[in-house]
Amino acid sequence: MSESAETPAVVKEPEQLHGLLAEYTTPEELLQAARRVKDAGYSRWDTFSPFPVHGIDPAMGIKRTVLPWIVLVAGLTGGSLALFFQWWTSSVDYRWIVSGKPFWSIPANIPITFELTVLFAALSCFVSMLVLNKLPLPSHPLDRYKRFARVTNDRFFVLIQASDPRFDRRETAKLLDATNPRAVEAVMEDTASSATLPRGVIYGLVMLASAATVPFALAMLARVSTSERPRVHIVPDMDWQEKFKAQRENHFFEDKRAMRLDVAGTVAQGELRDDDHFYRGKVGGAFAKTFPAQVDISMQTMERGRERFGVYCTPCHGVDGGGQGMVHQRARALLQGTWVPPTDLHQENLAYKSVGELFDSMSRGIRNMPPYARQIDTADRWAIVLYLRALQRSGAAKLEDVPESERGGLK
Amino acid sequence: MSHGSDNHHEDKITIDGEASSTSQRALVLGVLALVGAVALGFGDLAKLQRAYLTAFMYVLSVALGALWFVAIQHLTNAKWSVVVRRVAEILANNMVLVGVLSLGVVGPMLAGSSDLYPWVDHARVEGDHILHHKAAYLNMSFFTVRWLIYFGFWIWLGRRFFTMSVRQDKDGGDEISSALQRMSAPAMIAFALTLTFCAIDLVMSLDPTWFSTMFGVYYFAGCVLAGYSSLALALMWVQNNGRLTATVNQEHYHDIGKMMFAFTIFWAYIGFSQFMLIWYADIPEETHWYHWRFEGGWKAVSALLLGAHFVAPFFGLMSRHVKRNKRGLAFWAVWILAIHYLDLFWLIYPNGDGAVPLGLVDILCVVGLMSLFVGVSARRARGVNLIPTGDPRLADSLAFENI
Repeated sequence: MSESAETPAVVKEPEQLHGLLAEYTTPEELLQAARRVKDAGYSRWDTFSPFPVHGIDPAMGIKRTVLPWIVLVAGLTGGSLALFFQWWTSSVDYRWIVSGKPFWSIPANIPITFELTVLFAALSCFVSMLVLNKLPLPSHPLDRYKRFARVTNDRFFVLIQASDPRFDRRETAKLLDATNPRAVEAVMEDTASSATLPRGVIYGLVMLASAATVPFALAMLARVSTSERPRVHIVPDMDWQEKFKAQRENHFFEDKRAMRLDVAGTVAQGELRDDDHFYRGKVGGAFAKTFPAQVDISMQTMERGRERFGVYCTPCHGVDGGGQGMVHQRARALLQGTWVPPTDLHQENLAYKSVGELFDSMSRGIRNMPPYARQIDTADRWAIVLYLRALQRSGAAKLEDVPESERGGLK
Repeated sequence: MSHGSDNHHEDKITIDGEASSTSQRALVLGVLALVGAVALGFGDLAKLQRAYLTAFMYVLSVALGALWFVAIQHLTNAKWSVVVRRVAEILANNMVLVGVLSLGVVGPMLAGSSDLYPWVDHARVEGDHILHHKAAYLNMSFFTVRWLIYFGFWIWLGRRFFTMSVRQDKDGGDEISSALQRMSAPAMIAFALTLTFCAIDLVMSLDPTWFSTMFGVYYFAGCVLAGYSSLALALMWVQNNGRLTATVNQEHYHDIGKMMFAFTIFWAYIGFSQFMLIWYADIPEETHWYHWRFEGGWKAVSALLLGAHFVAPFFGLMSRHVKRNKRGLAFWAVWILAIHYLDLFWLIYPNGDGAVPLGLVDILCVVGLMSLFVGVSARRARGVNLIPTGDPRLADSLAFENI
């Protein structure tokens, strides 16, 4: 703007004009002035008052803030995130049974969902309010004007900025004069004060930032050093719980065992196991020759058996069941004299054993092979028996057993 | 600041003629509906009593909501609400009627009927270990004393707020305001206790083995919602008759709407708090109460309450434009009053068989009792100013604006 040349009062001023400030003594005058300035079409201007003035928003033509929408979206985001993370951590990523409760159940998640909704809404409200108001504002050209100090007490002000496209030094001054102000004053840009932060502030910030790294540095140090002193127990009643662990002594009971046996004559739910065929591989006291009805003779069970066989049997018996597994090879390499080699599962006497007997050996162990009933589920043991049968069959296979299309590859 | 302060001089602030005709119509409708309910439900007295109890708790909740509103305004020395307070005072001063209506519930009990409350039956109490233990509290003589205390206190409090406020219309000054404010603090404590124990006595003891310390607060949340919704609708009725048109404006409706929104959340918060503790502890003597409400048809009612008593009004009342729009606020006030009835129905009816017996008798009972309440309220509105003209805070209330 080149008006400064036309206005004698500011000819000598080296500073740039920031705007024109008008002072009023009552909120009614402020409202009236605000309406005039708005009607004149200004866009870069503001009003200042010691307290909220009713009706100042419509008088200035200020549109309603978008803040409620930000808060709504943030609140919904917080709630959805809380629900999602609770679902994902407890029923997808780290499933952990707590007191037999379901992995995921809405009621248990509502308190955290509620809290996060409120937290996100409140924090976004606070931060957005600062951003929308362009706060914090470290300095403003008006700070230097003594007249303006009374804005916190009993005076009301309108400031029209020189950067407004409609700003014209004379016209704008005329407009403000017409609103019956107590005074109109030109406000200069603050070129006198330094634009950089004072050194003290910078040093203070650097010191604060350095101090903030101390806790992290201590934590890093603790991770790589040892100490003679006992560790710090922040939550002692979680570290030393009033409970008995497995195999401990407990003098409360007559047998002094902390672990309690089932009450005589009782059976836990689902632990009855009265089906001899399925649970023990026996029919009428003798080993069963057929699979129990619970075992589904299908490719799916076969695949399951192959997979479980791979996990539990191959270390000793080998992938092909020939008894040349890694454990056996290792024992031979170490010249272990007492090592009893694993059985070749293709031996004829084994191939003629009934499925019930194979199941029994697996469940209760045989010679130096330990029992696997604790590790392998009943249905999985039957699946392994099924796979073993197929494995034995393949070991004794003739050329005619191979499908015609595949025979070429063998010969 | 000054642009609204003289408006009430132009406004008509009494409503005699319209109130008389409305009152007559409402009273006739109320009597007809009640006669219809009795004629229709005479064959099944137990069902009729339950329908009456539900309707009675509904009317009581509106009156208690209004009474609480008046008390909290005095207690907090509220300025915004002065122009709407008289209408609430008129509603709250109807406790005499509500006390008379309570005879419909207590009368059969005094006559020895245990259709609703098993603990009234001596033989049953003697044979039931738990009831026997609770008999020190749940017995007819102590119950009668409590019932007299509840309604005696509420009638006295509602009448006191009303008469003192009307006296201030003539006398002016702030002595009455400060006297009522001083009184409100102890009155609020007594109000909380009487409301809580009344809800326990009249609703929770329907299932005397069940207990929840949240129960009184849950009923209170419904009372406040019903009170604010009724207040909004009553003000709209007054304004539609050309009264207070410039005195009560969207700023006041906005604040009433805010409270409806807030207590919608409060209701859900209290309802869920009660549910979650019982769900989590999973103790059979507590869970059966919810089990009954998640069985059969009640499952749908429970889901409806969650959706229509919380989710819908929560989002519906969230916007300031809805709260500042008379039609918008009226819609949600009617909505809340309707769903509030379902909430009470859900509290009172389930007995484990899964059936949801909402019928014509229930509708006739609640329409009948509410019509009587509206009729007597309109009658009481005659001859008094619809705003407390002597209240020193009136000018502040007239000029009130939400920033």
